[in-house]
Amino acid sequence: MEERPLMVIHYLNQFFGGIGGEDKASIKPQIKEGPVGPGKAIEQIFGGRGKVVATVISGDNYFVENQQKAIEEIINLIIPFKPQALLAGPAFHAGRYGIACGAICQAVQKQLNIPAVTGMYKENPGVDLYRRDVYIIESEESIRGMLDTLSKMVKLLLKLSEKQKPGKPSEDGYFPRGLLLNDFSDKTAAQRVVSMLLAKIKGEPFQSEVPRPRYDHVDRAPGIKDLSQAIIALVTDGGLVPKGNPDSIEAERATRFGAYNIKGMDYLKSDDFEVTHGGYTPVYILQDPNRLVPVDVMRQLEKEGKIKKLHEKFYSTAGCASIVENVRKMGQTIAKELKAEGVSGVILTST
Amino acid sequence: MKLILNEINIRETQFSEKTRIDNGILFINKEELKNILREDRRLRDVDIELARPGEKIRILQVVDAVEPRVKLDESNSYFPGLLSKVETAGQGVTIVLKGVAVILSEYIEEPEFPRDPNGEIIDMSGPGAELSIYGKTQNIVLLPYPANGVTRDEYKISAKIATLKTAVYLAQKAKNQKPDKIETYELELTPSKDMNHLPKIAYVFSILSTQHGIIPKDPILYGENITKIVPTILHPNEILDGALVSQYRAWGMETYLIQNHPIIKELYQRHGKELLFSGVILTVIFENDKENERSALMISNLAKLILGVKGLVLTKSGGGAPELIIAKIAKRCEEVGIKTAIAISHIPADIKDFEFGGITLFNFEEVDAIVSMGTPWEKITLPSMERVIGKSFNLSCEPPIGGEIHRMVRWIRGAQDQIGYTKLVVSQY
Repeated sequence: MEERPLMVIHYLNQFFGGIGGEDKASIKPQIKEGPVGPGKAIEQIFGGRGKVVATVISGDNYFVENQQKAIEEIINLIIPFKPQALLAGPAFHAGRYGIACGAICQAVQKQLNIPAVTGMYKENPGVDLYRRDVYIIESEESIRGMLDTLSKMVKLLLKLSEKQKPGKPSEDGYFPRGLLLNDFSDKTAAQRVVSMLLAKIKGEPFQSEVPRPRYDHVDRAPGIKDLSQAIIALVTDGGLVPKGNPDSIEAERATRFGAYNIKGMDYLKSDDFEVTHGGYTPVYILQDPNRLVPVDVMRQLEKEGKIKKLHEKFYSTAGCASIVENVRKMGQTIAKELKAEGVSGVILTST
Repeated sequence: MKLILNEINIRETQFSEKTRIDNGILFINKEELKNILREDRRLRDVDIELARPGEKIRILQVVDAVEPRVKLDESNSYFPGLLSKVETAGQGVTIVLKGVAVILSEYIEEPEFPRDPNGEIIDMSGPGAELSIYGKTQNIVLLPYPANGVTRDEYKISAKIATLKTAVYLAQKAKNQKPDKIETYELELTPSKDMNHLPKIAYVFSILSTQHGIIPKDPILYGENITKIVPTILHPNEILDGALVSQYRAWGMETYLIQNHPIIKELYQRHGKELLFSGVILTVIFENDKENERSALMISNLAKLILGVKGLVLTKSGGGAPELIIAKIAKRCEEVGIKTAIAISHIPADIKDFEFGGITLFNFEEVDAIVSMGTPWEKITLPSMERVIGKSFNLSCEPPIGGEIHRMVRWIRGAQDQIGYTKLVVSQY
């Protein structure tokens, strides 16, 4: 256990730093020794376990308009104080302030390798931007919640600085960071599943350990009125790639996709392709890649005039244990590219 | 049908000139065992290593673990249909060496599909050992090598058989030992009057998944392959006593765990007190819709019309796609009035999107009783080891596998399982 108090830097905007209101929102970062404003409450809450060695203050406008530069300036200002941790805000519902708090916490974590905590109201745009990288305590909307938020911030910061594992978001009061981690139950899964079943049979309330997923709703594009005038593209998540996997598409949890030229090809040759996908046996696709990406059939339809043209590239990624956000981004990028090249319809194949 | 397990506790293993058990120590004549295993001409040779809890050893390419057992009868063998005559498993007396596992570390030059070059590993000390069942057992590690001209499938089957033979060979030496503990497993066919009010429960056990291809002659149920099996009913004792071995390299379902099936044992424990354990429905997860739909239909019929159960516990085998299939089976059963509860680990673990995300592949209203068995994707840091047993098929992999590594739980054999042993629960942070 550390005997010496934790050396903490406190980040504030121009208002909480006591410099001025909106009129002072463009001030450059400056540093003052010791706590300022809410920083004094922070020291009281620390009760000797921590000390606000300095307070760095920046104008909200200056920060968001010069983010990179502001971060650099702030880091340079705080380094001489040899900080062991940082607290920012809390920013409540102030958007620019929230973004600044999130950004500065993220930066000091990365560049100075010290723990950082901030606090915001749930509708602050800083939450969505930074919750994955930064511990953000959920605050009320109004500054009446100052003391409560500060004490949660201090508590969590102490845990982090002692390298303790933080409690669950609901326990420690921070916004869930999108991490899925394992805890240990005191009972085996066998015990828990039999108990859960018995409760369900008896009509007693039970708590499922796994919530149901929520799905995004995508409106269907209107149908193609005249297929014979349409350029159709082939897109697959079966992980079919040219030999050597030139785009290094991962076989599981892929973050990349590739676009592969099929101009002039009547069919895909098995010698030219391989499969990168950890979730199925690729034997049949390696024998004949057209089973997955049916260039042969599409070419036939093209010749018969049923479609105007088979698009000259097919797109491919591996849909194995994929992260929704990654595949959504890929889909959006692919759709944009295809649309720009005059494609009006896509056939998606999967395994 | 009454099964009696005579358990002998083993606290140490050593090589010696005579294979025997003495005062809780298992002595093994390495050459004698090697000669027995080399009788299978599909194997060129078999290396045998010992790995004990606490040693700084890392074992690679772990395909299976088997608990040494033998029947106390004139067969002097185990795994009916596979190593001995086809007889009903689950009755009479079985000798069990407790605290020992025969580990199969496969020889591999090239994987069939992209995967980790070191396979599933076991650490005998450190956090990896704490997390895994097999970090705490006395491990007899077999490293079989294929003979020239043997196909990959033939090698796998012979390696599997070598592991099972070793398990029997070791247990045979305990026949005259006084058991440290005796466990009895017996279910009455017709429950007594005072148990009539208890709900009848059965367990749906997915023993195999075909998603990564199948080995046509992989012996699994009474020594025969079951890749085309329709759902069937087994007595739980059959599963506890060697009727089933795991699919080759099944994830989270080593033969050792099947022999000690956690859900079957749990249902047995509560039988007559909170429930009536009515049987085990054995099924396979197919890679096509038609056969999976047929299985779902037949399972709901077996459960409702034949066993007459009020509730089912279900587990899957394999990876992500099987999760959806087992949920569809549960949904089908719910539709005919049977309550279900599923225990799964989370292959699709994705909650980075806070608005839309999920940790299951399915979304059925009725399938609402789900127990988490942990996420396989979490990484833990494993310290460097003094010795590595087994070979990576990518010798230039960085960092070296014997040093400090950050490994996903999914790639540590025995850290997670699919049939209820684990205490891991997934949590959103």
